[in-house]
Amino acid sequence: MRFSEVELGDDLPEETQDITMERVQLFVKTVGMNFPRFTDHEFARKEGLPGAIVPGIMSQGLLAAMIHRWAPGSHVRKIDTVFRAPIVVGTSVKMTGAVTDLDDDAHTVEIDITVVSENGATNVLGTAVVELEP
Amino acid sequence: MILDLHTHSVRSDDGRAKVDNYCQWIRKKELPLDGFVLTEHRQYDDTSDYRDLEDQYGLLILKASEVETDYGHVLVFGVNDDLVHAFDFARVDNPIGEVLDAARRCGAVAAPCHPGRVNVGLFAHYEAKGPVEGVDLVEIYNGGSRPGEDEFSEARAAEFGYKGFGGSDSHIVSRIGYCATEFEDPIGSMDDLMAALRGGRFEARTWRT
Amino acid sequence: MANVDLQAVRDEWVGKVYDTTEFPIDAQHLVDWAVACGETESRFTEPDDADFQAHPGYVSHFTAGRWTPKGFPELGNGRGVDGGKAVEIFGPIRPGDVLTASTEIADVYDKTGRSGTMIFVVNRMTFRNQHGDKVATVDWRQIRATDG
Repeated sequence: MRFSEVELGDDLPEETQDITMERVQLFVKTVGMNFPRFTDHEFARKEGLPGAIVPGIMSQGLLAAMIHRWAPGSHVRKIDTVFRAPIVVGTSVKMTGAVTDLDDDAHTVEIDITVVSENGATNVLGTAVVELEP
Repeated sequence: MILDLHTHSVRSDDGRAKVDNYCQWIRKKELPLDGFVLTEHRQYDDTSDYRDLEDQYGLLILKASEVETDYGHVLVFGVNDDLVHAFDFARVDNPIGEVLDAARRCGAVAAPCHPGRVNVGLFAHYEAKGPVEGVDLVEIYNGGSRPGEDEFSEARAAEFGYKGFGGSDSHIVSRIGYCATEFEDPIGSMDDLMAALRGGRFEARTWRT
Repeated sequence: MANVDLQAVRDEWVGKVYDTTEFPIDAQHLVDWAVACGETESRFTEPDDADFQAHPGYVSHFTAGRWTPKGFPELGNGRGVDGGKAVEIFGPIRPGDVLTASTEIADVYDKTGRSGTMIFVVNRMTFRNQHGDKVATVDWRQIRATDG
């Protein structure tokens, strides 16, 4: 995807991700976040959470990977995500992106990014600024 | 005339939308909006001037606030100097009676938003503490509602005789216009908006699927 | 929580660097992170790629030596969650780099939401590489739950 091919309002291909316990266990082991709130549903519920939750930074990483699939070779210059509601491990989420601004000089696009759960709750929303080849 | 009565910009702590990007999105996507109201969290933005954007895009852009009370969040239209000194906009537990009373005294309009939402919705507090005096209108359609919340808001509003309006509660550009309010009369200013809200000459609209 | 003067906390703590920590960058760890995020581009997953580098949000997992400065008031009821992260990338992060992160409190405020009343503590980490080049910043919003 080149900057010249992008238009305001373009949607990135929507993705559905199954956030399995195995994937979360791999992630938390990698980053050294082996806290039971991420891998133990019962423990998490005792903390007042709806179940074991997906680390926020993992959801941010998933969104960045989605951007790279839309625009291979692009450079994410900023990614800013608000974690509004926990994502429960073992559920499917829908990830979306929409182009909301273009900078002709810097060849960057601004993208709204979201993660929405099966129950319709918006778990994550934010923006990314991505530099593309002209 | 259709206005989104509940939006946030980067001025709000969790807002990520720039106002000019809202405008270009509305036009590019041909949304059925004639304008929108910026309702920033716990503050009134008295410095930003969007008149150039209004002219450039042919949209009405008004400024208001979303404040927090002991009965949930409340949108305040017609914020003026008297009102910003009447209570602390930054406080998270303003007594709702004080907010409603201050709005009336200072010529503003205060209306609870997302009233069906847990903890920060009016009707959740009604369950525990009973109704309050001085509420006439509430936001029955909110673009950030979870399934069932708007239906609950609409039903309770009807039960209490509150008139319902709509707003997207957008925090990112692409969510503006999810819900809005259609007015019978042309609106050209905040005074026009408040008159229309007081007069009940509007209907809530939603485009959420 | 009602007794904590957040403005006083802001006045005392915002803008002061309270921690400096070094983070050496390891190739395999870069790969593991990218794969765990579902990444498939070789510049993030293959160390032999000519442009192999850290995935965009990689630095967001680094934590300072302390979450808050020594002497910072206890805010909330002891339970906390991650409220969000903003990462800005100024240059590629490569294996073998040694990043030095300086951390400061960027903001403190309260608000109410579906979960009740929450206090937000925003940390800012600024990362520089061994050449002194700023390569990234991360703003991290910690949410401290209250009983309200």
